[in-house]
Amino acid sequence: MTWLIWRQHRTEVCVLGLLLGVFGIALLVLGTQAHDLFPGGPARCAGTAGAGETCTAAFRRLDEEYGYVENLLAAFYLVPVVIGAFLGAPLLARELEDGTWQLAWTQAVPRMRWLVAKLAALAGVTVALTGMFTAVLTWFRQPFDAWEGRFQYDAFDLEGLVPLAYALFAFGVATAAGAILRRSLPAFGVAFGAFLAARMSVALLARPAYATPLTTMEPVPAGGTKGQAGAGVADWVIERGYADAAGRRLSSTEYYELEDAANQAGTNLSQFLHERGIQRFGVYHPADRFWTFQLIEAAVFVAVAAILIGVVVWRVRRRVI
Amino acid sequence: MTDTEIALRTDGVGKRYRKGWALRDCTLTLPAGGVIALVGPNGAGKTTLLRLIVGLLAPSTGTVEVLGHDVTASTPQTLSRIGFLAQDHPLYKRFTVAEMLRFGRACNLRFDQGLAERRLAKLGIPLDRRAGSLSGGQQAQVALALALAKRPDLLVLDEPVASLDPLARREFLQVLMGAVADGGVTVLFSSHVVHELERVCDHLVVLNHGRVTLTGDIDTLLAEHRLLVGPRTATDLDRAGAVVEAVHGDRHTTLLVRDGGIPAAPGWQAQPVGLEDLVLAYLRRPSEPGAAVPSEVAA
Repeated sequence: MTWLIWRQHRTEVCVLGLLLGVFGIALLVLGTQAHDLFPGGPARCAGTAGAGETCTAAFRRLDEEYGYVENLLAAFYLVPVVIGAFLGAPLLARELEDGTWQLAWTQAVPRMRWLVAKLAALAGVTVALTGMFTAVLTWFRQPFDAWEGRFQYDAFDLEGLVPLAYALFAFGVATAAGAILRRSLPAFGVAFGAFLAARMSVALLARPAYATPLTTMEPVPAGGTKGQAGAGVADWVIERGYADAAGRRLSSTEYYELEDAANQAGTNLSQFLHERGIQRFGVYHPADRFWTFQLIEAAVFVAVAAILIGVVVWRVRRRVI
Repeated sequence: MTDTEIALRTDGVGKRYRKGWALRDCTLTLPAGGVIALVGPNGAGKTTLLRLIVGLLAPSTGTVEVLGHDVTASTPQTLSRIGFLAQDHPLYKRFTVAEMLRFGRACNLRFDQGLAERRLAKLGIPLDRRAGSLSGGQQAQVALALALAKRPDLLVLDEPVASLDPLARREFLQVLMGAVADGGVTVLFSSHVVHELERVCDHLVVLNHGRVTLTGDIDTLLAEHRLLVGPRTATDLDRAGAVVEAVHGDRHTTLLVRDGGIPAAPGWQAQPVGLEDLVLAYLRRPSEPGAAVPSEVAA
């Protein structure tokens, strides 16, 4: 079986390995240069230490010289779906579209053993490839993470455990779609679409609700706009705004009315707000919730992947296909 | 028939797809040894029945027993005793022929690599060619060599020659019949053409509209049936339900009867019937449930 699985899927594995290898090496080269900006490691500039003179200078150079790479990293959101769907889509669909399932399942290997071996091997490759790439990417992002924390979308979605869960999810969707549609290419498309839809809705709607966010509330300082509302840079701020003296949140129209009033009165806006006891508030998740959130999100995607794989196993076991 | 002589037994087997029943109430007992032809028009349920027999599908009703074992259990032991050649003889197109043989070796308990290589060498099929680059006839031969190398006790073939040109068809049947002569393999194959069956087959199963309409040993069936030709008449001539089909011409009426050869009535002439005419007569019969299914004779 090992030889057969390798022979059938070596093209996909090699293409993926080659692509990821090229990107990985590029990241390693650029990352070494970026890391060299931080003698003693980027972790020393994380948090409040980042305000120090050497760190600020290092961050400025990082932004100037490697900021463009960080923007390109957004494309790597798609790495898990490319790996998972590329390996999952043909698993059953290719056998079904070529008719070779009739060949494979009438040899002496019972179909369940065949299926379990294939699922285990290809899910294993999916996890291994995604894991290796994620490790490189997480390392590459260390200087950026020291600067902006790991909770922003461009860090959280690319680091730690969640990419592995995303990849398994894509693998599950692609395999199940392949089993039902009996065609590789449409299965790949379905996995791609499902991946984008699930990732977006989870990141935007579900993720902020994994835990009850904290809220800070402080009066608007008379001096000006310096300083953020409570939350640190590494925290994940979900919402910011203004509240009146009693703590009631102001709608944007109410705030604009105040702004107009300040303009008409000819006073400085901060001063104006300060005098009326207006407060600034911030709703946020503190940075130390990073791993909790990673575990929750990974569990969600792995659970869905497990259900989809369960459907595939059920279909093959019941001889629906 | 004792258990060891039975290659295949189905009992009340039916298969329902979302669109409806593809096969209903299929009860068959087929003897081991020899060649069994499964005949029926396209869409009669032949592929469904064969897939049920090799365990690719699970029946909606009834049981399928191959060589004394329930096929739905799909143990390696049962699977290794059945060889299957699916319609259009699928192969892994990007594998070389040698890799196809390696696939067979890796996935089977017993696999006679030497036998397969000898067969392919005899046919001049190079081992280093990709399966997808071979001609249709050669692909069918590779698939057959794979199935035969399992040294199966039952070899099931779904329309094995339907997609082949006449030359490849003849060559394929030669190899197949040679294999039957070599060892004690039972061959069950489906076909929608009746032509030439008489020469190669011992046993016949006719399937129409998802039901078995005729089954039995071919020699016995031919002995039991005959054509009676007499003056044209519109009266009901059915003696105890023995008339399979009545065809009324301008002056004559021709009856196909299954009466075991009792003396014909005066004025009627008895003639033997050919296999093709016999099968066609059964295929033309209306398929009301129950009525069209004669009881098992040969088994």
